[in-house]
Amino acid sequence: MFSFIVRRVAYAVPTLLILIIASFLLMYAAPGGPFTTERALPPEVLKNIEARYGLNDPLAVQIWNYIWNVVTNFDFGPSFKYRDRSVNDIISQGFPVTLTYGIWSFIFAIIVGLSLGIVAAIRHNTTADYAAVGVSIGAQVLPNFVMAPILVLIFTLWLRWLPGGGWNGGQIEYVIMPVIALSTSYMANIARLARSSMLEVLNSNFIRTAKAKGLSERNVILKHALKPALMPVISYLGPAFVGMITGSVVVDMYFSTGGMGQYFVNSAFNRDYSVMMGITILIGVLTITFNTVVDIVYAWIDPRIRLS
Amino acid sequence: MSDMKNSSVLQVKDLNVSFETPDGRVDAVRGVNLHINRGECLGIVGESGSGKSQTFMTAMGLLANNGHATGEVNFHDTQILGMSVRELNKIRGRHMTMIFQDPLTSLTPHMTVLDQMTEVLELHTSVRGDAAAKKSLEWLERVRISDAKRRLNQYPHELSGGMRQRVMIAMAMLCEPELLIADEPTTALDVTVQAEILDLMDELKRENNTAIALITHDMGVVARMCDRIQVMRHGVYVEEGTAEEIFYNPQHEYTKMLLDAMPRIDQPDKATNRKLKEYDEKGRDQNFLTVDDVRVEFDIKVQEGLWPKKVPLKAVDGVSFTLRPGETMGIVGESGCGKSTLARAVLQLIPPTAGAVSWLGSPLSGLNRKELNKKRKDLQIVFQDPLASLDPRMTIADSIMEPLQTFRPEMSRKDMKAKVAQMMERVGLPQQMINRYPHELSGGQNQRVGIARAMIMEPKLVVCDEAVSALDVSIQAQIIELLMDLQEDFDLSLLFISHDLSVVREISHRIMVLYLGRIVELADRHEIYKDPRHPYTKQLISAVPIPDPKIERARERIKLPGELPSPMDPTARLRFMPSKIAANELDYVPRLDEVKPGHYVAEHDELEKLVV
Repeated sequence: MFSFIVRRVAYAVPTLLILIIASFLLMYAAPGGPFTTERALPPEVLKNIEARYGLNDPLAVQIWNYIWNVVTNFDFGPSFKYRDRSVNDIISQGFPVTLTYGIWSFIFAIIVGLSLGIVAAIRHNTTADYAAVGVSIGAQVLPNFVMAPILVLIFTLWLRWLPGGGWNGGQIEYVIMPVIALSTSYMANIARLARSSMLEVLNSNFIRTAKAKGLSERNVILKHALKPALMPVISYLGPAFVGMITGSVVVDMYFSTGGMGQYFVNSAFNRDYSVMMGITILIGVLTITFNTVVDIVYAWIDPRIRLS
Repeated sequence: MSDMKNSSVLQVKDLNVSFETPDGRVDAVRGVNLHINRGECLGIVGESGSGKSQTFMTAMGLLANNGHATGEVNFHDTQILGMSVRELNKIRGRHMTMIFQDPLTSLTPHMTVLDQMTEVLELHTSVRGDAAAKKSLEWLERVRISDAKRRLNQYPHELSGGMRQRVMIAMAMLCEPELLIADEPTTALDVTVQAEILDLMDELKRENNTAIALITHDMGVVARMCDRIQVMRHGVYVEEGTAEEIFYNPQHEYTKMLLDAMPRIDQPDKATNRKLKEYDEKGRDQNFLTVDDVRVEFDIKVQEGLWPKKVPLKAVDGVSFTLRPGETMGIVGESGCGKSTLARAVLQLIPPTAGAVSWLGSPLSGLNRKELNKKRKDLQIVFQDPLASLDPRMTIADSIMEPLQTFRPEMSRKDMKAKVAQMMERVGLPQQMINRYPHELSGGQNQRVGIARAMIMEPKLVVCDEAVSALDVSIQAQIIELLMDLQEDFDLSLLFISHDLSVVREISHRIMVLYLGRIVELADRHEIYKDPRHPYTKQLISAVPIPDPKIERARERIKLPGELPSPMDPTARLRFMPSKIAANELDYVPRLDEVKPGHYVAEHDELEKLVV
């Protein structure tokens, strides 16, 4: 276990380096830059600004300086767009917001998704199954930019229960709608995965053995079927969790939460290189971390998997 | 008569089982009656699709969701058919237990042996905690699992197939049931392990007075185990009687056919209607196929320290032999002995790690792809699973024709079709099947397709890799006959790989016994049976059940202690020479000695020293 984590960390270093260099090159290759505006700046001014941000240096030097700053000072540099703010500021402000609604979305998606999926599998080809499948298909086909206005329509304009936007330090009434809008499609995926893998497990030989032992249906499912049925769901949950906690631009914009998702997308439009790189690296680190967590959970669930 | 009725544990009356499928209703069991008395072993024999398993699945309440059963199933005097699951759970697992064919997948992978066993005790008895663990250990010891204490905390994947079946039996016996239903309990196991499991079940029957329902296709197993036998076919009863009646005085044609088609290791040339033509080497070119010290190693990643390490697994560890034109060499051995790997290495389907294969005087190993492909025309293979080894999207005629398109592109489509039709007729496939797909054919027919595909180029060598193992005995006999016919017509050489010694003796001129990638004995087919020299060969032959109750029950079995060593164990070669391990000569390689002309035996310690 320990050596497994050490090895994973060791593999993470080159992976992140490749990620940084590849994103850097991609951005460099795209035409235009952060200071390209409709009315062109005077060349001297542009030159001065580019010099200030180190954009005149050779590419290799730029990459090297960037990596060096990230590694030694944990400094992702200043934002090119928001003049007085650093990338660290933007992340430390936006990430807690998306983290909050992301974790709630995760919990909600797991609880509802798993229940739907498992019930559907156990009651295979009954009304309960069809209903659960119907709900998850419905949740899947409603994209969040449709979901969000519907939610606002219902809960803000008709029922007047919830505020239509804002964050307000993450008070519960401000979190509910972003969570529902973000989590429904994840929930639907979890339900579908859980249903099909549970169906497969229920058809396996060891379930027949468990039944032959005289175990009640409840115990057959809880003790014998659940763990193996969760495997595909868990491998989906790693990347899904990262996706949820790094936020969604639709949710951030529609509910004005001030989360990181909108900064990420805006940075791409604005050619805000440093913000984009910073968030890319954050997502990269989170992805590697949670894939490792998934592997550890895997090994815990299935003794046949050895962490190697 | 009333006495007999009272003592009957399970009674099935006029049972019908049907399944609703998308293709309509399938009647799997039609009006079956049976009863099993206390302490009796009833054999239910039949080929695949005879409904023998479904009868007992119904009794255990394990019928698939689309299944429907009518009739009566009485456990003592209680009707259990149609009982609620809650009520049935008081009987199944407690008074009536079941073990299954595939021990590898029948245990829950994420639970330890202990947890799976104590679960049964907690469910049906008041035994808990340490007492439950103690009782589980007692039963593991009773089923003679090696190192029983350690097994308790192991997971199923850490145990071999035989050990898992022992765990299944121990688990089924924990509550000392009155009836144990065993559904093909040894079919997936090696023959030596099968012998031990059968002995064990017989012992439990006698000591605990447990009734056993033994469902099997294997007449040899039945001869050994059963007091009474019921023969089933297509969901109905064919014949019933004591073991002696069924074996020595069968009434029904089907029973007679089953007995006739069953190959016997003590009576070669029996299962088929024709005899193997004895091999005549006069005027034969000896430079046909020469295999010289072939080795195949696979690198296995082993977790040790921070970084994984690669350890070679010796699947084939220095095998040499020659094959003559028109001859059949049988390769036998238990699972993991490297028989399939060896055959594939000979055909260069797996490149050998070391050693040389030469074919008609020129080397096969080390050729590039193009040169090798030219030779493939003469080197063909027939696989074990006939359905899975055919492309499901190609008609059988297209599958058979494919080699022609590769090797004879100049042939016209019409000629190819004519040739395919001719070959289909030759292997016994009706012409109207020409446009059928593999899933529309039976297992035996698909295997005929596989043989036709291999034979279409009229090759000189065909490898049959467990080619008849998945087939019912009656079909098996026909396929063996077909292979013998083809051999004579085309002067074909065969490498016939099988785990079944009786079949191998039926079809092979010479037999090679493999153990952990090494030849332990190689001799003429009669010689190796009449005068086996190596302890492993002796054990193997003594473990094969003979479908004759009197002979079978009187036979003495040779048991070699210990489990199969891991092929990664560097001392695995010395499995039969513990004296060298004791003398610390760990690098010693046992020689292959020619004890008689043509009879080779690997060096070994005396049998008496191996049997403790």
